[in-house]
Amino acid sequence: MTRGEANFPRSTEIAVGDELPPFELAVTPTVIVAGAIASRDFMPAHHDREFARGQGAPDMFMNILTTNGYVSRFVTDWAGPEAMIRKIAIRLGAPAIPGQPLRFSGRVAEKREAQDECVIELAVRAANELGDHATGTVVVTLPRA
Amino acid sequence: MAGEAVDELRERLEAYVGKPMGPPAVAPDAVNVPMIRHWVDALDDRNPVYLDEAFAATTRFGGIVAPPAMLQTWTMARPKIEGIAERGGAPDEMEFDNPILPLDEAGYVGTLATNSELEFVRYLRPGDQLHLTTEVESISNRKTTALGQGYFVTWVTTYMDAEGEVVGRQLFRILKFDPSTIGATR
Repeated sequence: MTRGEANFPRSTEIAVGDELPPFELAVTPTVIVAGAIASRDFMPAHHDREFARGQGAPDMFMNILTTNGYVSRFVTDWAGPEAMIRKIAIRLGAPAIPGQPLRFSGRVAEKREAQDECVIELAVRAANELGDHATGTVVVTLPRA
Repeated sequence: MAGEAVDELRERLEAYVGKPMGPPAVAPDAVNVPMIRHWVDALDDRNPVYLDEAFAATTRFGGIVAPPAMLQTWTMARPKIEGIAERGGAPDEMEFDNPILPLDEAGYVGTLATNSELEFVRYLRPGDQLHLTTEVESISNRKTTALGQGYFVTWVTTYMDAEGEVVGRQLFRILKFDPSTIGATR
């Protein structure tokens, strides 16, 4: 489970314009339900297809806590275990529904040195065939290399 | 301005700005490893600082920390499962006077979450006992949107530890819309 630090970029190696390794999540009912219950969100729209459709949604859909969790994972899978997420600011769009893979992409938009940290601002996007599920900004810090 | 209007309902909604969106809430459990493990497995997030104590001790966190996006999870209300669908997913029957009620009554029954902004002041550690307060930050004028006419309601939740220190915040914005006005021009 523990990963070597060698796989993660040092703050000095990160530059504006760098792309994060893309990540594709195969969204299934299990993925949606697992996230909803782990986040203690029992809203039927996140586990009951008939209920969700009755409310006008195309299918049961991922809850926002899970979306934020996957955005966080997407960023720290790249930045490594010393990374600290300071902000996840997203605009919510198309629902994440079963059968539609969610594709995460990200780019370093800004980088600045603070006291003993490097502050990195990322432009992130998670999209499926319906359109943009979540777009926005993640601010993450790394210890100065 | 095109597509928005000030009206009588909007004036009534103004009374809610700066007031709580819901009652203060206390996390039913302190931040704990079993719930972290449940989350880590559900999202397949293998960042070792969340569960590997020996490894986490070597990082700048000095020990296990909770996944930051779990911030909301700790204070989620304990659900009453029976009847939850009939309540539209509300975890319990408690009603709190907030701007959603007059909007629902006026026909703006549709709800669409549009923005979430999470800010993490510090990462949480097992044992942290959280509580929160909420405040209505703003309510827009009536807008014409692709879903019909509606109002954007924005509130901020502030999360604190047992000492009252702020550990994080979340700004959340929803559109309350009237589905019968879809395609309306005013």
